[in-house]
Order: sequence, then structure tokens, then C-alpha cells
Amino acid sequence: MDDVKKRLTGCFQIVFPDIPEAQIPLLSQANTSAWDSVAAITLLNVLEEEFAVEMDLDQVADLNSFERVYAHLQERLQAV
Amino acid sequence: MTITEALQIAQTAPAAAPKFDVKLACGFTPLHLQTLLTAEVQQRVRGRKVAISSGLYGDLAGTLESVARGDGEQPDCLAVVIEWPDLDPRLGFRSAGSWGSGAVSDIASSARAMQARIVEALSRAPAGIRIAVTLPSLPLPPLFHSCGWQASEAQLLLERDILGMAAELAQGMRAMVVNGQALSESSAAGQRFDLKSDLLTGLPYTVQHAGAVAAALATALVPPAPKKGIISDLDDTLWSGIVGETGPEGVSWDLASHHQLHGLYQKMLASLCENGVLVGVASKNDPAVVKKTFERADLLIRSEQVFPFEVHWDAKSGSIARILNVWNIGADAVIFVDDSPMELAEVAAAHPGIECICFPKSDYAAGLAMLRRLRDLCGKERISQEDTIRLESIRRGAEFQEQAAGGAAPEQFLQQLNATISIDFDCGSEARTLELINKTNQFNLNGIRLTEADWQKRLSQPGAFVAGISYEDKFGMLGTIAVIQGLEREGVLHVPTWVMSCRAFARRIEHGCLAALFDRFQASRVELDYTATSKNGPVKDFLLAMLGEEPTGPVRIMRRQFEAQCPPLYHTVREVRRTYASG
Repeated sequence: MDDVKKRLTGCFQIVFPDIPEAQIPLLSQANTSAWDSVAAITLLNVLEEEFAVEMDLDQVADLNSFERVYAHLQERLQAV
Repeated sequence: MTITEALQIAQTAPAAAPKFDVKLACGFTPLHLQTLLTAEVQQRVRGRKVAISSGLYGDLAGTLESVARGDGEQPDCLAVVIEWPDLDPRLGFRSAGSWGSGAVSDIASSARAMQARIVEALSRAPAGIRIAVTLPSLPLPPLFHSCGWQASEAQLLLERDILGMAAELAQGMRAMVVNGQALSESSAAGQRFDLKSDLLTGLPYTVQHAGAVAAALATALVPPAPKKGIISDLDDTLWSGIVGETGPEGVSWDLASHHQLHGLYQKMLASLCENGVLVGVASKNDPAVVKKTFERADLLIRSEQVFPFEVHWDAKSGSIARILNVWNIGADAVIFVDDSPMELAEVAAAHPGIECICFPKSDYAAGLAMLRRLRDLCGKERISQEDTIRLESIRRGAEFQEQAAGGAAPEQFLQQLNATISIDFDCGSEARTLELINKTNQFNLNGIRLTEADWQKRLSQPGAFVAGISYEDKFGMLGTIAVIQGLEREGVLHVPTWVMSCRAFARRIEHGCLAALFDRFQASRVELDYTATSKNGPVKDFLLAMLGEEPTGPVRIMRRQFEAQCPPLYHTVREVRRTYASG
């Protein structure tokens, strides 16, 4: 697991403490009832704090799975 | 605190711990405010699991009315966050309502009506709920006819009304109103509002402002215990100069000598003393010279406001130990102020837990910070009758101890005390009653602290009783010094709470209290929920004397057993209904 994925998993664990670590890479808003609009915004904030990048609230709807968040972060971090 | 830290703090509380329920009443989406408030409260109520629930979006008054009606489970605390749109949606950015000139007078009248609803709902909230309120902290939208730099009459009237409402809430201590000035220092006005978050998520606060509001609310809901005493050095602390070198007239504390900071410190100590904070002196000095200096008429704290004086050339840690002994309080309830880092270090090493403050002689910013810190550490929500008599009571207590020659008081001495125990069985709603339970450590049956909600639940049980005990003898009044709370069922008294102030030790008051309870309820036995704590040795000693063996858990004392073991009692016992001072 690369460093970004590992840190991203940690962020998800903080926001969704009841979900086992192994399941986190498979999470999406569609298969996770706890991933509501409040959790989505909380997740953005936790990502901002962990990766020191500004996350745009407009992106909340698009960042709806672990994979998508991971891809977005990789793109952002490579651009820095 | 970051959101990540807040989530981690909230997750550290054991799920099985007793709940500490907080209702967060606000008209917007609480989001991070709720997360941060959970963590801030969690840090203040260790051993409980904080659970925060919020009300309906856009219906602050409705949420408060629901709490007032008692809908659902009664929370321990109620955090009320008022913003301008709660008074009228047109005062926010999410409403499509008009900002035209014609709307302004209508907004003012609807805001007044909403404020009345809020006050009414809060005044009807169940007594056991502690309430904290923040007033609008965000800027008003640009809806007035004037330029932004000019405060229009309409805006000033809105602000006047909200301050009037806050004063009404603060009156009678029904709600703790968060100090807006203090909030401004932790959250700059220009960095509070996030329009994008407001429009997209419904939370108008930036994360840092949500953090500041959460911290302020948590402190108001679960305030730290105020410090009980301040021990001060003299030279270059209470006054400027070394009195042993210059003589009493050579030290100064006034504006003309540029030493006003010392004068302000004297004024602060005198003011705190009037509010029941104990002030003592620990100084390496010549006692005669110090006595002479305290005779100066321009000193801003009177010598009778200071007790005791420890003035000699021995180590200050010893002075502190003797002062703590006279005050009968622990080091963690005391502040020590000195200009010498070395003296502070010596005292800190000998008395872990004591709050040491270095007097900043010529650093004015640090001086102001120190004055405010003293006020924050010692400030009280209300001044009780006990606060006004504490110093005198301790002076008399010291005389008592001297004459009783310590430990067990000789019979003749106790006989001549002319002691009266007054018992008030109607003191459940008095603030002092719960306050005493939550701050007493030594004579405390089990050390259990109670929230206002826990207290109300206890008192509402069938057969519940509460006795507030005050004491007076020829040495003076000690005020309310003990509380016993329990249940009476068929001649059996079950007592889960019994506390007595350490100021009242060695007078057999605990025996007098139990004797009075047996008599009043014609009880055959008393069951005491005793649990040993690290500090309640005096209760253990009392029970050991009663039972003939060391208690290890809850105990029963039969009436016959009590009467056989009880030493002679010389108190006059009377039942009263007292009036309580508050302010």
C-alpha cells in the first residue's frame, strides 16, 4: 500500500470508526449508510488536515468512493 | 483543535461509560460545530460518554420549546447558538426575503417576537438542565441603507435588543451567556463567516470559528472548579521595591511611581477576597517591617483581608504548607504568585498541582494577562453567603484548632462551644447544595459528582430527602457545611450522598447529623453508599469508629449501634428554612 493510500485509509478510519480497515478501500457512498452528507463534509475537512490541500465543497458529490477520493488526491498531490 | 483531533477525542470515550447528553440548539446545520463541541465537552467530562443531539434546521425556537416541554430524554446540558437568521431569516444569506428599506422595520419587530419566544422557552426549561448561550457572532448582511462603516440606527437597535435579551437570560443565572468580548479574542471577527459553506452546507462558520464557539460553550457548560486561594509574595510583587531595604515608605504601587501594575494587583486581590477567595502572604521578610507596611492607608488591600501571614526567612514551601493547612485545602486549589522564578520552582516542586504565576514586574502586556488569568482562575458564577463569611470562618477555625489543641477536642472544650446545628430539609434547589457535593473531597461518602440533571432525578424519586446542614458556635458561623441526600423507605434511610466541609471537622457535627436523621425519620437503620477514594479518609475513620472495623464498601448502621458508639453531643439541633444570598 502506498503512503497516500495508507494515510487516506487512516482518514476514513477516523470518520468511519465502526468500519473494519480491510473494507475501507471498497467503500462508496452507495454501499455505506454512515457516509451521509455530514460525513462527506467531515471527510473533506479531515483530508484537508491530513494532506494540507484545500478541498472544494463543490466536489463533495463527485468524491463519493474511496477509489475516487484516492485518485483525486493523487492528482492533486502530483500537481503540487 | 482540528476536526481530526476532535473525532479522535470523541472516539476515546468508552462506549459503555454513562452518557452525558448535550442538546445543541441552533438554527443552522451544526456539522463541525457539533464535532468540535463533542470533543470539547468530552475533554471536560472524563468518565462519561458525550452524546450530542441537535434540533431541527431553521427552527431554533422550536428546538428550545421542545426541550422546555420535556420531549424525549432530558439532556444534562443545553447549548444554544443564536445567529441573526434565527431571529428573522432575512438577516441571513440563505433566505430569498427582501432586503429593501421597507423590510427593515418588519425585521426588527419579528426579531423582537422571536427573542421573546427564545426567552420564554429557556425560562421554562427543566431546572436540572445547565444552559449556555452564544449571541450572534457573525456580521449582519449588508441590508441597511447606510454604508458598511456606519452603524445604522436599525442595526444598533437590533444589537440593543439582543443584548437586552442576553441580560434577561443571565438574570437569575438561568443561562450562562458566553462573553462576546472573550470570544472575539479567540476568533477574529473577519475570519468567522464562510459564505460558501453557509450556502452549500448550511454551516455559516469557518472551522476555526466553530472551534472557538465550541470551546466557549463547553467551558460555560462544564466550567473548571474555581481556585479557592491565592498566596502572594510581597517584595516586587504586592508592591514594588524591597521593603527590608527601603522601609515601609520606600515601597510603591501607584501611577506616579510608575508601579501601578502592583496597585492593580492589590485591587484584584482585594476584589477576589470580597468574593470569597482566600488571600495569604508568603514572604521572606522582617515581620515587624511588613506589619508596619500593611498599616499604610494607601494600600489597596486591607491587612484584615489577608490571612494568614507567613513572614520569616524560612523556605517558602514550608510557608505554603502551613497556609494550606490553615485553609484546609489542597495545593491544586491554590495559586502562588511571586516575582522570583527560583521561589516558584521551589514551591512547585514541594506542592505538585499548585498553580504558580510569575509576577511580571515591568512587562505590562504580561501584567494584564496575569490580572485576567487570576480572574479566570478564581471567577465565580455567583457569590454565595458562604463566600462572604469564608475568611472569617477560617480565622475562627484557626482559633478553634488552637484552643482545641488539634485532633480530638476535649469534652470540656466542646461543651463550652454553644454549638447549633441547623438543618434545612428544603434546600434541594439551592445552588450551594450541589456545589458543596461537587467540591468536597475529604468527608465525602464516595466522591461521586453529580450534574444538575442527576441531582433533579435524585430529588424526584419517591421518598427522597435532602438535608442542608449549617453550623454556628461561639467562634462564629461556618455557614452551610454539610449535605446529606437519600431516600426514606419504611424506616430505613438509604444515603448515596453525604458530604461535609473540612472546615467543620473535629466538632462531632457528623455524629449530630446522623442523630438528627435517626430522630426526624424515626429510622431503624441507615445505609450509606460508602466507597473508598484516595481522599475520603475522614469518612473511613468515622465509619471505623462506628462499626469497629474498616469499611470496604456500602455499610449499614443500626440505630442501636449508633447510639452505643456515638460520643456525647453538645449541639443544639434545629430544623430551619433559611434564605440564601446570591448574586
